Amino acid sequence: MANAEAEAVDFEPEEDDLMDEDVGDGSPNRATLPRLKSAITGGGSSTAPKKTKGRGFRDEAAAEADRNARMSAPFDSLDSEGGPGPERSIEGWIILVTGVHEEAQEDDLQNAFGDFGEIKNLHLNLDRRTGFVKGYALIEFEKFEEAQRAIREMDGTELLTQTINVDWAFSKGPFRRRNVRRRSPRGHRSRSPRRRF
Amino acid sequence: MADGVDDGEFYLRYYVGHKGKFGHEFLEFEFRPDGKLRYANNSNYKNDTMIRKEIFLTPSVLKECRRIVADSEIMKEDDNNWPEPDRVGRQELEIVMGNEHISFTTSKIGSLMDVQTSKDPEGLRIFYYLVQDLKCFVFSLISLHFKIKPI
Repeated sequence: MANAEAEAVDFEPEEDDLMDEDVGDGSPNRATLPRLKSAITGGGSSTAPKKTKGRGFRDEAAAEADRNARMSAPFDSLDSEGGPGPERSIEGWIILVTGVHEEAQEDDLQNAFGDFGEIKNLHLNLDRRTGFVKGYALIEFEKFEEAQRAIREMDGTELLTQTINVDWAFSKGPFRRRNVRRRSPRGHRSRSPRRRF
Repeated sequence: MADGVDDGEFYLRYYVGHKGKFGHEFLEFEFRPDGKLRYANNSNYKNDTMIRKEIFLTPSVLKECRRIVADSEIMKEDDNNWPEPDRVGRQELEIVMGNEHISFTTSKIGSLMDVQTSKDPEGLRIFYYLVQDLKCFVFSLISLHFKIKPI
């Protein structure tokens, strides 16, 4: 079925965000912890029930209790005002490069990104099975402007014959989930009935 | 390109641990659909304390995680012939991708020998390597952001 609408409908975070928990809240409030199923399906998405597979579904109550106990305590994070936008890491700004050629070496990334500023850290992880580059790299710049220029100038360019994408790695807050379900049915004005495929 | 790389929900949780002489030792991380990555590592060995970190990831990072999962083809596997969790330990891998939801459990895997001598070496091998690749990814993210050695 062709997806005729290009627009994605976002949930209002207040209405829908089962994920929201205060960091450092300290109190394991069971009601705010996402139950696995509802958290994953976004609380009422109309997507079809998922095909499930695996033994993990057997002992759900016991396993879930265990899991909630583990996940209920506060998790540390760096102070952030929340909301959209990139988040600074402890000593700098981290960008993610994807689409990295499997034979790329650290030098290739140094050469491509070194012009924007001193690279404080570079992680070019390998595929644990093949030993080739897994396909992503994480690069740290000290200054926001350096990272931003790197993103702007390198995103969508070619490295070793492959197109790479470059973006921030960390965000100040949750992003609005795109969801298949439509709440506002029409983005355009035509009154003719929707085409059905 | 494997199914579900850009569609719909994505959630991933991995747990490995055991309860023993030094308490409940475990490593767990979770990629949530809103972009939050949670990481926890607990060991009471030599009185180590719990590490719990969380950070919001950008959609680009989640997308790369999805790609890693999709490329592994783990969603096609099944754990019914994998060794059951036991005294030595337990692993859990739960993934929601598109309209599929897997929740696999198995024992700890010591080495490739354990994989090769199991009843489903192909499937377990996929699991084994995917877990390593995911750990690499998560450890890099956490260590770069927090400047800690996460293990």
